[in-house]
Amino acid sequence: MSKPAVILVGADKGGVGKTTVARTLLDYFTAHQVPIRAFDTESPRGTLKRFHPNITEVVDVTEVGDQMKIFDTLGNAAANVTVIDIRAGLLSPTLRALSDIGLLDSAKKGQITFAVFHILGPSIASLEEIAETANVVGDANYFLVKNFINNTTFFEWDPSTYNSYFKRIPGASEITVPKLNEMACEQVEVASTPFVSFVANKDSRGEPANYSFVLRGYVRHWLGNVWGEFDRVQLMDLVTPKADNDVRQAAS
Amino acid sequence: MSLRNFITIVASPRPRVGKTLVARLLADFHLHNGRPIAAFDINPDDTALTQFLPDHSAPAEVAEINGQMALFDRLVADDGAQKIVDLGHPSFKPFFAVMKNIGLADELRRRGIAPVILFVATPDATSVEAFAALRDDFPNAALIAVHNEILGEAQHRDKFTASGPGSIPVHVAALAPGLRKVIDRRPFSFVDSRNTALLGIGLEPYNELQRWLRRVYVEFRELELRVLLSDLQSSLNVQS
Repeated sequence: MSKPAVILVGADKGGVGKTTVARTLLDYFTAHQVPIRAFDTESPRGTLKRFHPNITEVVDVTEVGDQMKIFDTLGNAAANVTVIDIRAGLLSPTLRALSDIGLLDSAKKGQITFAVFHILGPSIASLEEIAETANVVGDANYFLVKNFINNTTFFEWDPSTYNSYFKRIPGASEITVPKLNEMACEQVEVASTPFVSFVANKDSRGEPANYSFVLRGYVRHWLGNVWGEFDRVQLMDLVTPKADNDVRQAAS
Repeated sequence: MSLRNFITIVASPRPRVGKTLVARLLADFHLHNGRPIAAFDINPDDTALTQFLPDHSAPAEVAEINGQMALFDRLVADDGAQKIVDLGHPSFKPFFAVMKNIGLADELRRRGIAPVILFVATPDATSVEAFAALRDDFPNAALIAVHNEILGEAQHRDKFTASGPGSIPVHVAALAPGLRKVIDRRPFSFVDSRNTALLGIGLEPYNELQRWLRRVYVEFRELELRVLLSDLQSSLNVQS
């Protein structure tokens, strides 16, 4: 049984497509048959819960009771991987709170796998967010996500400036989420289904739907690109290093 | 999955090579065989096909998502019609980019529809490269070159071969200039022409036109058989 993994998905600003990225992660792990559970911190009504109702619970991560709900069950939960969608603007405070309750130390001691997906906004101000996060992220696996939602011409930062921020977090990786056609985005929103269901032409109850083949094609192509990025950063190996554990045990 | 219907995209990255003529001839071939058709005219600057075949063709566009949905969602629809796309040269790249992006060829095959690309071949480098790119991008579509002999002798045929049905091109023979003028008057439907008394051109020219038309029909019929045979061969290979 591999150690529990916690993935935080957050941003310090709203509207950067954080929940979209969280949804692609949930679909990715489901497709790889990794049991997962999700916590949506957009209290009281979560967006993530709307798309993945069966595996998502809405919580308030600053509330001690809810913290216990998430973190005390890490080792026991049937789902090995926990994805937490952090409300906009709460990434750094949440990381600080997690540090306070000892979660980051657990990660350091190798008791849990901890990863942060930091969704970046297009403005130069988001570089400062990296600096702020760097102070608290510690040894977590850190992924900087450039989500090209609206405009393909942002992220035009001076490379040396960008690198100076990027380097503050050793071992950080970059992930690019390409733009998905607006009409396709909109239709998936209206359908309120996971991306994978939309592509399979199923509605939120799993019944056959009547979505546009063109839009399904765009979503399938886009999701394939996003999952390709997750493959590239070896996300599966990160959360389920079972093979490594077996090898280590056999070697010792 | 056995193929029941065809979608034929008549394309070339060059203008004025005879795409619309090939589309019209194909439309007539299907109508002559009693099959319902739907034709899509992607030529915003000159909707010629729509003017020649107003009852069966309508303008379409691929620049914006709405046009793409209207066109491609209709192409995959299982309505029993043989579909023809007259792809104007400015829309060549965007059309095939969307087609590749959404996986159209695979979806069509899954639904028992044969995707066919009739590429009107010309000897320039742009065309040769475009053909090779289509061959790489769409292994599941039947890619066949059309040699329109009005453009000159087909000295470049070796650069326009593809696997399976694409190993033999389709020939459209040159038509006499006088007859060309007749068929290029809009509207003109080859099917209707059989009902009009000799089109006002005299018996001999009329017969010549019909002979030319028959030769084109033979080319199209043989192409259909090659596509169906190739599909049968691949399904036999899978089973064995």
